[in-house]
Amino acid sequence: MSAISPPQSVPSFSSKSPSKTLTPAPNSTRPFNRIHCELKKASAAPQKWTIDCVSSTDPIHIILKPPNSALLPSPMDSPLKNSKRVCLFYCSEMRDLAERIASESDAIELRSITWRTFADGFPNLFISNAQGVRGQHVAFLASFSSPGVIFEQLSIIYALPRLFVSSFTLILPFFPTGTSERMEDEGDVATAFTLARILSNIPISMGGPASLVIFDIHALQERFYFGDNVLPCFESGIPLLLNRLQSLPDSDNITIAFPDDGAWKRFHKQLQHFPMMSGILAKLDSVYSINSNGAIIFHVYLTKLKLCGIPALWVVCAKVREGDQRIVRIKEGDPKGRHVVIVDDLVQSGGTLIECQKVLAKHGATKISAYVTHGIFPNKSWQRFNHDKGGNPENGMTYFWITDSCPETVKQVKNKPPFEVISLAAAIASALHI
Amino acid sequence: MPSNNSHCNSTFSPLCSSVCLREMERSKKKVLLFYCVEAEELARKVAAQSNLIQLQSINWRSFADGFPNLFIKNAHDIRGQHVAFLGSFSSPSVIFEQLSVIYALPMLFCASFSVVLPFFPTGSFERIEEEGDVATAFTLARMLSNTPISRGGPTSLVIYDIHALQERFYFGDSILPVFESGIPLLKERLQQLPESDKIVVAFPDDGAWKRFHKLLDHFPMIICNKVREGDKRIVRIKEGNPAGCHVVIVDDLVQSGGTLIECQKVLAAQGAAKVSAYVTHGVFPNKSWERFVHKNDNVSGKAFTHFWISDSCPLTVEAISGKAPFEVLSLAKSISDALQI
Repeated sequence: MSAISPPQSVPSFSSKSPSKTLTPAPNSTRPFNRIHCELKKASAAPQKWTIDCVSSTDPIHIILKPPNSALLPSPMDSPLKNSKRVCLFYCSEMRDLAERIASESDAIELRSITWRTFADGFPNLFISNAQGVRGQHVAFLASFSSPGVIFEQLSIIYALPRLFVSSFTLILPFFPTGTSERMEDEGDVATAFTLARILSNIPISMGGPASLVIFDIHALQERFYFGDNVLPCFESGIPLLLNRLQSLPDSDNITIAFPDDGAWKRFHKQLQHFPMMSGILAKLDSVYSINSNGAIIFHVYLTKLKLCGIPALWVVCAKVREGDQRIVRIKEGDPKGRHVVIVDDLVQSGGTLIECQKVLAKHGATKISAYVTHGIFPNKSWQRFNHDKGGNPENGMTYFWITDSCPETVKQVKNKPPFEVISLAAAIASALHI
Repeated sequence: MPSNNSHCNSTFSPLCSSVCLREMERSKKKVLLFYCVEAEELARKVAAQSNLIQLQSINWRSFADGFPNLFIKNAHDIRGQHVAFLGSFSSPSVIFEQLSVIYALPMLFCASFSVVLPFFPTGSFERIEEEGDVATAFTLARMLSNTPISRGGPTSLVIYDIHALQERFYFGDSILPVFESGIPLLKERLQQLPESDKIVVAFPDDGAWKRFHKLLDHFPMIICNKVREGDKRIVRIKEGNPAGCHVVIVDDLVQSGGTLIECQKVLAAQGAAKVSAYVTHGVFPNKSWERFVHKNDNVSGKAFTHFWISDSCPLTVEAISGKAPFEVLSLAKSISDALQI
């Protein structure tokens, strides 16, 4: 393990004064696991974060150590001094991720629930040691992988805050229905609204409104679907990806591609909460406040990425009116000779990604990988993605990264290249300490 | 009061019926009735009761990921109209799609919105005996209480024979629960039985008695209960005498049917001439209704002469169709009256 010294300066952008000179990302052919980076806001003092990337494990383990870690006890030390203790409950399908989260910190303790069903199919639930959560910070790790599991988890979510807990946090890494959030025709039913409404109705606890942690929500407007009695906290898996990219042997040859306008809008806004990594991206302030013309935002971001020295591609995938044919073209940027990583929030059938892959290969990309935070892959559609095995990028991908937000998929793609799972555990553990 | 309307169908008092007529004339309104897939048959029956009730339709599809892809047809026609939705939560997996429609309809500028949920499931899990118990009835009531208000104010929520009387207080202020009963249907049916039958009503436990005795107080009654004898719990008759009578066991719902079978055995042993049963909600998980079906051999007796259920649980209604001793008493008329509230 070797440390890379921080760069001389980190770019800072504001809406008023774009682009300053910056030092590009350090080029290194040595594999490294740890980087330091400095976060510079226009107003605040710089913060130093440490990121460890353990890429040999499955899923890939990214450990974020917040600034002032010298003051905070490390997991090895006695944990109870300053950090908040959290009792973490979880639904059955999220057990693996819950265990990883608990292993991130001694301050997080796993708790159990008995999940049974009555003969009529309705849940028969019991929260073990309910008295023991009084005065504690409590969290529930949920996963709404299908409509059928919502009711039982919701019963727990509505019950926990009323057990005299000192605060309640709901972690829902993947917010489903996100693509069904607009009414184009009167008569469309936006199920994202239903789900947001159901979650907005979580009872308040002694600690006030429940916090709701969601990763890479599909539509940025959805943050406004939540009522006043919950505090949504929108996180992202993108920084974990960027860290993983840094550890690749060809990290200096990477170009990021966005399959559509929406993808870039999303990426941009979510990064705000995460530490910036040197040479990759700087914190941007409110330049991306809601702008109805996504293309403008996209282009602004594209420009900034390039100014950071990160090549970025804008690939647009559009549906033609006749039938289901998809036409993909590269709107901006050049993939020739590059290892292109297509980035999006989620994948369903994978059709969009496959089309993008074909176009990028045709235009000379030497390697193609993909990252999505949420690998939904209904009906095992992940099977369409082959490993390039070092060969032609038209026939396969080098890597396909997903996070562990969709546990069923994680199980199915285990040990199946090109898939690699990056765990959200560290990001969730730090979100719990807010 | 809505329950009085149902009473009037059985014409118990002239005063009562004239009050009903006045109420009916006053509040006639056209209602657009939407319904979930499993309740289609009941919806058709409800619409057949009155020219004022018009069936509407919804496209119920799913996306590849299993989440619903719904479309309310002719949504523009809803504006300014009284709208209702007939739901059926037969299992947790159908709740989300129906709830999406329930949350969407009041926001389409309707004049008023009512949800008819004949059977409110989870009703038997509504108390916390030990800290750690999760009362799922509270979850369901909370989800329904969060229905948006419409131009007509809070949504009305019509429920038949809710399991625990206290559950009426689980609903928040933004919803107006209307508690109806299927018992008037039973009374009407009993009147059609041969005069010679001496009908006695039996309750399998104190809970059932508390829920229903007032609606049935002109019948002689038997109350059963379960007592412990060693390790076993057996059914005993606490009060009343079944000898020579046609005993009708009355309860709000049936699950496995075990309690009813035990009651029937005791009643028969104590001399009942015939035993029948009525439940509003035939939940019957895992086809437990099979235990009651009359077999066509000459060997097994017919334990139950009649077994009446309402059509609140449409999946059961379909399953027992044409199978003696089951008979379905339809809530359609009662629902169509309730929609006029």
